[in-house]
Amino acid sequence: MKFFFDKKNENGEPNKEQEGPLIEFNEVSKKYGQIIALYKVNLKIKRGEFVCLVGPSGAGKSTVLRLLIREEKPTKGHIAIAGRDINRLRHKELPFLRRKIGMVFQDYKLLPNKNVCENVAYALEVCDATKGEIAHKVPKIIELVGLAERTNSYPKELSGGEEQRVSIARALVHAPRLLIADEPTGNLDHDNAREIVQLLLKINQADTTVILATHNRDIVNNLRKRVVTMREGKIISDQMQGKYII
Amino acid sequence: MKIVTLERILKLGLTNFWRNRWLSLAATFVMTITLLTISIFTILNLVIQATSESVKSKIDMTVSFYDNVEEEKIQSLETALATMAVVKSTHYIDKDEALSIWQTLPIKDRTKQLVTKDSNPLPRSLQIKAYNPEDLSKVAEFFDNYKPLISRISYENNKDIIQRLINITKFIKQIGWIISLIFITISVLIILNTIRLTIFTRKDEIEIMKLVGASDFFVRIPFIIEGALYGILASILSTFLLYLAIHFISPMVSSYLGTVAFDLNLFFGLNFWRIFLLQLGAGSFIGIACSLFSAHRYLKV
Repeated sequence: MKFFFDKKNENGEPNKEQEGPLIEFNEVSKKYGQIIALYKVNLKIKRGEFVCLVGPSGAGKSTVLRLLIREEKPTKGHIAIAGRDINRLRHKELPFLRRKIGMVFQDYKLLPNKNVCENVAYALEVCDATKGEIAHKVPKIIELVGLAERTNSYPKELSGGEEQRVSIARALVHAPRLLIADEPTGNLDHDNAREIVQLLLKINQADTTVILATHNRDIVNNLRKRVVTMREGKIISDQMQGKYII
Repeated sequence: MKIVTLERILKLGLTNFWRNRWLSLAATFVMTITLLTISIFTILNLVIQATSESVKSKIDMTVSFYDNVEEEKIQSLETALATMAVVKSTHYIDKDEALSIWQTLPIKDRTKQLVTKDSNPLPRSLQIKAYNPEDLSKVAEFFDNYKPLISRISYENNKDIIQRLINITKFIKQIGWIISLIFITISVLIILNTIRLTIFTRKDEIEIMKLVGASDFFVRIPFIIEGALYGILASILSTFLLYLAIHFISPMVSSYLGTVAFDLNLFFGLNFWRIFLLQLGAGSFIGIACSLFSAHRYLKV
């Protein structure tokens, strides 16, 4: 799993898996009991792309994201990341996949007993980062998301918007190759939301693939990036420089 | 594993223990009760065992001989008895010793004076102890061949009482262990449930840790450290409470049971480190095992 996403494999040779799309959904369906969350979804995302995943609530956006970090497994179909079928990953290989992905959760998913700094540092600690790296990177990213004053606050002492920014900081701190953001601007005001999107664009320019699931029409329309629109578990439109069409 | 990872995990365990201090305190308290239950019942069984052994060791058999039996004959019988595997000890009581025992008996002085050195009707006897009082019947059988020499065998008269005493000590020992096992099982189940609850309240936390890329090992070890801490703190507390309890209870036990009583204070003093280390071992093991068992189900994310 060391060469997951990496351009070179363990022997220093170019990684052949890097030549195809970064993400590939092949006829992916997901059912929760009788409810069909996804139905035969086909989707390819190239390295370095910025993709907006849009659609009304219940369209299946969050399911797509959850499948990508193997929080869930599809009922049918295959999902490949960097050429590897992630459904076939063994349990002990999952952390290696997740460490290469930064995920901003819709419900933030912050550790309640850790302060802002510790929450962000945790993503580095699990990757075996050194103390020096942590001391260098964590304050920087916390400042970047505008929470320098709140470093020692606990999640219960933060507003929704602040919690969301901690979640973003944690997703970015280990410089992931793939950033998945589920409604990252949902609890932010207009200015903050714009700042976060600028941040995502900046990260994307540094060769990180970004998938942004959002409801925010203005953001999607201003970005002029690829827009994948979902409805009732299906992809109904996929435009390279798209607009919010629903 | 890198040293930095180990240090990090240790720190996480200690921090978690402190930040969830109310839950930690509750778990430590329940663990203390568990360890106390285990210790008290173990010690109680030791007391029962020691007391019943002490009672059993006092059960003996006295064979009295007619005055006309030659002393050499009695001595040869004593030698023969000593070769029997079941016999623990034999003691020959001659007329003089019988007289001195007679004088210590709680009877009226006038009766005592009826027996003197010159007019001593008290028989010579052999006092026999077996390793196991139940085997005294075999010794009694041995004397079947020498009935003409024997005026009286105490065993014949006391047979029923001895059997009853043996049965009672056996019963108390068995019941002691059964009750102990029941209480120990209950207390272990309670601590398991308490630790499960403390981990259940943090199942979302475990899920988040897994989703941001923590390995099972990285998530699990801090919980193991917390479990071990419950055990370590509880064993200190439990040993201290046990010391207090024994200190106050021991004189009462001694005065109630008299000479057959087991000296609890002495026992505790001699075995202090053993008791503490056993509690430490049991506490840490239970804490770690319960934490591992409880965290396992939430690691499947």
